[in-house]
Amino acid sequence: MTILERLSSGTMYLICGAIVAFVAVVCVVFMARAWRAGKAIGMDTARMKRTITASATFSVLPSVGILLGVIALSGSLGIPWPWLRLSVIGALHYETQVASAAAEQLGLTLSGETMTAQAFSTIALLMSVCIMWGMILATLFGKRYLKKLGGGDRKAAPETEKKPGFGDRAMTAMFVGMVSAYIGSYLGAFISGEGLLTFRGYWTPLVTAGVAALAMAGFTWLSEKKNMAWLESFSIAGSMLLGMIAAVLAGQ
Amino acid sequence: MEKNPYDVYMRTTHRMGRIFSILTLVLLVGAPFVIGGWLGAMPDLQAAARGFLSVGLVWTVSSVVEFLVYTPMLGAGGSYLAFMTGNLINMKIPCAMNAREMVGAKTGTAENEIISTLSIATSSLVTIVILALGVMLLTPLRPVLQDPALQPAFANVVPALFGAMAYKYFRKDPKLAVIPLAVMTVLFTLAPSLTSSTSFMIIPAGAMAIGLSWLKFRRENREAGK
Repeated sequence: MTILERLSSGTMYLICGAIVAFVAVVCVVFMARAWRAGKAIGMDTARMKRTITASATFSVLPSVGILLGVIALSGSLGIPWPWLRLSVIGALHYETQVASAAAEQLGLTLSGETMTAQAFSTIALLMSVCIMWGMILATLFGKRYLKKLGGGDRKAAPETEKKPGFGDRAMTAMFVGMVSAYIGSYLGAFISGEGLLTFRGYWTPLVTAGVAALAMAGFTWLSEKKNMAWLESFSIAGSMLLGMIAAVLAGQ
Repeated sequence: MEKNPYDVYMRTTHRMGRIFSILTLVLLVGAPFVIGGWLGAMPDLQAAARGFLSVGLVWTVSSVVEFLVYTPMLGAGGSYLAFMTGNLINMKIPCAMNAREMVGAKTGTAENEIISTLSIATSSLVTIVILALGVMLLTPLRPVLQDPALQPAFANVVPALFGAMAYKYFRKDPKLAVIPLAVMTVLFTLAPSLTSSTSFMIIPAGAMAIGLSWLKFRRENREAGK
């Protein structure tokens, strides 16, 4: 049995599958508790249902993208470990980078041909250790941090009793900043990616983002002006799909 | 002596969040040793330590920033789940923000806490189910998903996501977006190599947008007070 065959064997599926199943149960528990708490404080169940529908449709396409990450890593690490990593705690942009760095430290390249049992266990350990800090910080300081911000432990009070504060604006602003950084990077890559101000750089992300933004404008117009409010739940997923089709047509 | 159901919910959420996070951590860090034992080759701890110094420190800083920035957005339940299930920037954060936006929940309210938790839990479950189905169908699906013609689509999931989000957020306050977008464009144009550090550039861009938003907020409050 080769190392790759062992890494995709039933035992590996059992170990990784058990952890994925554990986290799935945690999600179900949190979801059920939030639903019950929402009802207990008088939240409209229709809004909660809408949240679930919108979040589910929103997550489908990125999840298919994440599945590709599993496929990409399966050639060197087998299928179960990348499946576990990308289902739990991992991030698409992170896994390959860390796995490659770990392989490098062992004097290898990340490939199935050079993989050994010890290289795998070392790579797997580094992949787990490098990204665990968010979870540790949330465990150690989450409660205190939220209390300090006055957010997490606030009493359930009707919206009308609260004075509009800066918190919401700050969150929206943070998101505007985040989106600006990404769109700015696509513009910069196109303008100077192949030499300063040559306008010959990689343009597919820019076209993709542009088409997705236009599609989003179309969906917003339909839901706001044409009484098609139901479209709102699917607008992000639909816009992303159209953007991704544009990327295929751009074909870079 | 808390009787308010929401207070009880919050207290239990923190307790359960901590317990589940610790258990997940033990399982994830323990798995390489269990697998190593089964394979007959334990991890090389020295190589792992060198690897940590080369890439791990960067991710540690990134994790601290993610914790500081995203915890207030997600609330308690959403944070524990999001840090446990990962894929924050490319999925969980936009997903929760979208849900919050759609139902009009305000930051720091009980409603925001519930909506964020429902959103992150749903999103995580969808990913778990899709990956499980995908892994089961990996053999028949592999040729379709790895078709070279489709690769640009999957390589551009993040631009598609941020394009759609850009319209949604920029139209709320176009003036607020102008300066961060212009500054980021100039920076990435003058130093295209920064593209590989886009996730770190979120911090100055976010700080800039929050600063501008604060100035506007203060001005509006001053005018309202006159």
